[in-house]
Amino acid sequence: MELSDTQIIERTLGGEPDAFNMLVRRWERQIYGLTLRMLGRDEEAKDATQETFLSAYRNLPKFRGEAKFSSWIYRIALNICNTKLRSRSKFAVSLDEQREVSGFELAADLEDLGSEIQREQITRHVRRALQGLPFEMRQVIIMKEYEGLKFSEIAEVLGIPLSTVKTRMYTGLSELRKRLEHLREAM
Amino acid sequence: MNTQNNCNMHEALMSYLYDESTPDEKLRVETHLTDCGACKQELHAFERVRGMLQQWQFDDSPVVRIVTEQGPGKRSILAVLKELITVTPIWAKALTAVAMAMLVLAVLGTDISVGRGGVSLHADLLRRNRAVEPANAGGQQNPMSSDRASIEQVRAEMKSLVNQLVADSEREQREQIKAELASLQLQLQNAHTADLAKVTSRIQEQQTRLKTIERDIDRREGLDLTDILFSEVSKPAERSTAGGD
Repeated sequence: MELSDTQIIERTLGGEPDAFNMLVRRWERQIYGLTLRMLGRDEEAKDATQETFLSAYRNLPKFRGEAKFSSWIYRIALNICNTKLRSRSKFAVSLDEQREVSGFELAADLEDLGSEIQREQITRHVRRALQGLPFEMRQVIIMKEYEGLKFSEIAEVLGIPLSTVKTRMYTGLSELRKRLEHLREAM
Repeated sequence: MNTQNNCNMHEALMSYLYDESTPDEKLRVETHLTDCGACKQELHAFERVRGMLQQWQFDDSPVVRIVTEQGPGKRSILAVLKELITVTPIWAKALTAVAMAMLVLAVLGTDISVGRGGVSLHADLLRRNRAVEPANAGGQQNPMSSDRASIEQVRAEMKSLVNQLVADSEREQREQIKAELASLQLQLQNAHTADLAKVTSRIQEQQTRLKTIERDIDRREGLDLTDILFSEVSKPAERSTAGGD
């Protein structure tokens, strides 16, 4: 029988520190997905994922079990992403982003793109559009759209009212609509 | 029909879009959508945006492992001692107990005599009689001297026993550490092999994708200017030829 998150935490705190790696294996993909979409850079997202689990492990005795472990670890991951984003230089552009800029306009005008290329192009547009959103909106959209959290769960992670979550989601989607509407034909 | 989206239905629309509406709310939104073009249009646009967002998927995933050399958080000294006692093997506990007993006896100045009458113990806490003993020793043959010799012998035997136990424990520890090191090395090799296999498979995947993209680019680059310029013109001619046949 598979252990619940709470049972694994109890084991870890009860003197089986290696049990924590079960939680890591269970949640690493979700946390990596969240950090990748929040930060938009692969290496930085991997670092953030590692830092998230390390921080969770060190602070495990502080985990009270009032909230779900997933909510708690998502909150840690978002805090780490926020710190990383704030420490970024405004003018620092990664190599990936430079590549995107160079091929961006030309590809958008091309018709009859191969499906693989088309998907890559849309992904780039989506990534850039998401990166352009304010942090508050972006985190709500990512948790909803990619992590599949319910609005009430997002409210729990962020510690904000449900109505605020829905408003941020609405505003964020409206912004994305403006930024991605030109891709309508490609879809 | 309303065309301006000032209906204040934002929250209800979000719940509806993500299928989190209550039955009442769902009915309210659906009724509203039949009258409000702006909200309907907005809902469709959001659905399209969602479709685009779903294009961003990833197949890479980091391999995160937390090395748990010590437990999470800070531990008290008591907890550390408790763990130390728990993990100490039974022979080490026994050895420690014997050593502690000997230490206590030595501090108390206890004499252990092994003679014909059996074993006798004499505890001299303040060692008051010690100063007198040497004076008596030089005179006649002390009947206690044979006992003292046997005490020395017992001491020597115990010392050698303790030394042997210490040597044995050291040897066992060395062997244990060696075995643990070998096991760790094996684990590391396994992890390395698994990572290598993963990396190789990813490289192959990337190469395949790259080839697909290259083929696509080649296909498009293969069309020269003439093809592009006359493709539209040639089509009707072809059609007419085909029609003529």
